Amino acid sequence: MFDAINTSGTGLTVYRTWVDAIANNIANVNDVSPTSGAAFQAQYVQAQPVEAGPDGVGHGVEMTGLKTSSANGIPTYDPQNPLADANGYVRRPDIDMGEQMGNLIMAQRAFEANANLVDREAEVYKSAIDIGKGV
Amino acid sequence: MLDDVASVSLQTAILGLGTRQQVTSNNIANIETPGFTASTVSFEGSLADAIATGSPTAADVSVTPSNAPAAANGNNVNLDDEIVTATKTGLEERLLTGALTSKYGLISTVLKG
Repeated sequence: MFDAINTSGTGLTVYRTWVDAIANNIANVNDVSPTSGAAFQAQYVQAQPVEAGPDGVGHGVEMTGLKTSSANGIPTYDPQNPLADANGYVRRPDIDMGEQMGNLIMAQRAFEANANLVDREAEVYKSAIDIGKGV
Repeated sequence: MLDDVASVSLQTAILGLGTRQQVTSNNIANIETPGFTASTVSFEGSLADAIATGSPTAADVSVTPSNAPAAANGNNVNLDDEIVTATKTGLEERLLTGALTSKYGLISTVLKG
């Protein structure tokens, strides 16, 4: 019962997680690490369709894992930095701000589309519940 | 009296619309999933044939993969089409459930005498 709302719910979960990951990536965009350690690694959400039922109707989307960007980051020459090594290098995270913002818009719009569908589906189920009402 | 062709046709159509709504929500849930193929639901033609033979329950609700062109990531969900389908399906569902309620209203009138 009310399967369509659950299906949109899986979309809400995945896209909210995606927004969370992007927010974390952007929050750490200026992190600096010594070359002896790992740079901050940006996280990328991976998702796949939930297996369809016997009737061929799919049941939404699910997360399959998180991919991370390189731990090497981008070695940057910054001799003034207290974390710089003997050669004056530090690690900065390998994060493309433009890519992150583009992904943020995709995730946000997809979340909105799913949230919108939940409302419509609720209306549909309500009309089904109201069959015979007042008869 | 409650399972005449009109009532059963309406019920079958409501079932088909429910499936369409669910497939639409699955398409939108997977709007960013790489390699995902959208599906469409068709039952109207089959239902019309089934009504013509007098047994609307024989109608077949079929889910078929969409052959719309895919984007670079292999996903072929078109948000505009899906929203239009969701809106139309919602309105049709209201129309059919309303018609079914009216039908039951007629029966109720008879029963009250």
